[in-house]
Amino acid sequence: MIEHLELFFKSIFVDNMVFAVFLGMCSYLAVSKKVATAVGLGAAVIFVLAITVPLNWLLDQYLLQPGALAWADGSANGEGFSGMDLGFLSFIMFIATIATMVQLVEIVVEKFSPSLYNSLGIFLPLIAVNCAILGGSLFMQSREIETFGLAVNYGVSSGIGWFLAILAIAAIREKIRYSNVPAPLRGLGITFIITGLMGIGFLSFGGMLTGGEDETPSPEPTAQVEKIQTEDAKELAENTKIAE
Amino acid sequence: MGLLSKKDAKLITDPLADNNPITIQVLGICSALAITAELKASLVMGIAVLFVLSVGNVVISLMRNIIPSKIRIIVQLIVVAALVIIVDQVLKAFAFELSKTLSVFIGLIITNCIIMGRFEAFALANKPWQSFLDGIGNALGYAIILVIVGFFRELLGSGTLFGIPVLGDPIEMTGVYGLGYENNGFMLMPPMALIIVGLIIWVQRSRNKDLIED
Amino acid sequence: MAVNTDKNSYTIIFAVAMVVIVGSLLAFTASSLKPNIEENKRMEKQQNILYAMGVNGNEGTGDITFVSTDKVAGEFSTYIKEQLVIENGVAKVDDQAYLIDVKKEQAKAKNGGTRRLPLFIGEKDGKTSYIVPIRGKGLWDAIWGFVALDKNMVVQGAFFDHAGETPGLGANIKQRYFMDDFDGEKLLNDAGAFKGITVAKGNNDPKNLIKDDNEVDALAGATITGDGVSAMIKKDLKLYLPYFKNLK
Repeated sequence: MIEHLELFFKSIFVDNMVFAVFLGMCSYLAVSKKVATAVGLGAAVIFVLAITVPLNWLLDQYLLQPGALAWADGSANGEGFSGMDLGFLSFIMFIATIATMVQLVEIVVEKFSPSLYNSLGIFLPLIAVNCAILGGSLFMQSREIETFGLAVNYGVSSGIGWFLAILAIAAIREKIRYSNVPAPLRGLGITFIITGLMGIGFLSFGGMLTGGEDETPSPEPTAQVEKIQTEDAKELAENTKIAE
Repeated sequence: MGLLSKKDAKLITDPLADNNPITIQVLGICSALAITAELKASLVMGIAVLFVLSVGNVVISLMRNIIPSKIRIIVQLIVVAALVIIVDQVLKAFAFELSKTLSVFIGLIITNCIIMGRFEAFALANKPWQSFLDGIGNALGYAIILVIVGFFRELLGSGTLFGIPVLGDPIEMTGVYGLGYENNGFMLMPPMALIIVGLIIWVQRSRNKDLIED
Repeated sequence: MAVNTDKNSYTIIFAVAMVVIVGSLLAFTASSLKPNIEENKRMEKQQNILYAMGVNGNEGTGDITFVSTDKVAGEFSTYIKEQLVIENGVAKVDDQAYLIDVKKEQAKAKNGGTRRLPLFIGEKDGKTSYIVPIRGKGLWDAIWGFVALDKNMVVQGAFFDHAGETPGLGANIKQRYFMDDFDGEKLLNDAGAFKGITVAKGNNDPKNLIKDDNEVDALAGATITGDGVSAMIKKDLKLYLPYFKNLK
């Protein structure tokens, strides 16, 4: 439970897709003129991330990782299928999943809920090129998210992080229309600069929740080491064949 | 440019300034932020995108009449991903040192929306030769912004250019550091790249009033 | 003749054809280039191991330089006296130990298997180094390295590399000034307990003159990559502790 909570807050604030790792910037900047459209795109991003991250997690676990193919022929320890490393395919697999899901979602929504389709409209196909989506899957892989539940959590929460970011900038942009911004900076220019400032603000989350388990000071380091020493070293001493 | 008709030449020159992919079309921002802490990385990324975008544009343009519209997004993404992965494997086999330098950028190239953006906006509707020129032009326009941002971030953040110290030695206190100057480590953070791009937009739109938004 | 590209049947045929073509193209390049790629990777590993124990082409304070590829096999057999694989507390001599993929071994350990721990014993100018591979995560992707230790677990040299850290920030773990900071650092504290080496910010020792504080100076703007380096040193080197205890 606690790991779910930690991952949830970490993906929304500490590792915010927009302000901390700067992914999905293009649609973030291009579609944030109005709050209403920003909400539509944000919701679509949450939805697609929530589906593609767990799907790609399954692909990664049972197809791509080294040793992941062990289920195919029941082999273990690097023989037969389990020795194969299809890691070089991960980019293309992830992208195919994302593009397929986006296209599928588009077709399904169009068929069963034309009103929702109209309100999302052009934003759905745009999501496929949103690098926050692929970034979500790649982070899931490189950070070694451990369970399916955590993968769902990660997809949803990083989507929420992106949603909050685009909502915030859209609200600011609506307000700033009434401010006296120098003409050449109006629109895109000032949005870049505000995003930069918000990114600096989000740096302050950086110290939170990072590397928690490594930072816990082991109260009795000697005792801990003794244990490792006695257990393993005894075994080592017994069967030792070290040529020294 | 006797080789190119006026219209073709415009395909190359337009994206350099008035229709710049980063500052006007808002494409390829993520990579512009991620890798511009160093001038060398900016340049390498620019060249890599130049290659992928021009070749990818030609491939998509050649296929434009046979791609089913329902699955065109998948087709485009797979074409570019396959292209990049194959080039990566070939480099790993025959130019290992070079591939070590480039491997960092592979993910960034595939996820770079400038590539998808140009496929959608241009290559799907135009002939291969024009698409090729469009690819070159847009990649160059992209590279220019990357190099400008990389120049300022590396100079002000680390006091070096291409890794060579140009402002003196901060530990030995020579050069401008002797006068009390210090490197601004903040320039190395990605938010500063956003602010520099914002300033570039400011300069560009002050010079060309047509680009000013309402 | 113009094809009707909107028809479902056409879409499906196109999709299947594309999957087959792209799939076989990728599989073909991957398998036909595999020997070359593996040879390159093998040489790179030898270069890295030699680099960590101080056999390299470094001059002055310039960039990192490896032993050149045409000489690396010879140098490797000259300097590396023995390669061991430690498995279940038993150390076996295996001259292919350097080919063990640490990533796969870590995955094995996670799935409940036993992890094979490679260790290379090198000798240069009468000094013996024990070189250990380590692997962990940075900000974006994997980071790894080789650490050369003496028998008291004092660092003799270190080499780090990464798959995709940010150029100019996290990628600087592959710079000489960062790697060289590890020389002489101790993995054990004064009481002889395992402590690791922490990549620490603001540790009052930016020139890294104090060698027994179990700390090296961090890289500006690369907190997560630095934490990753600390973590992989702590986790992976700790596994070799019984071996080093046994040496004494």
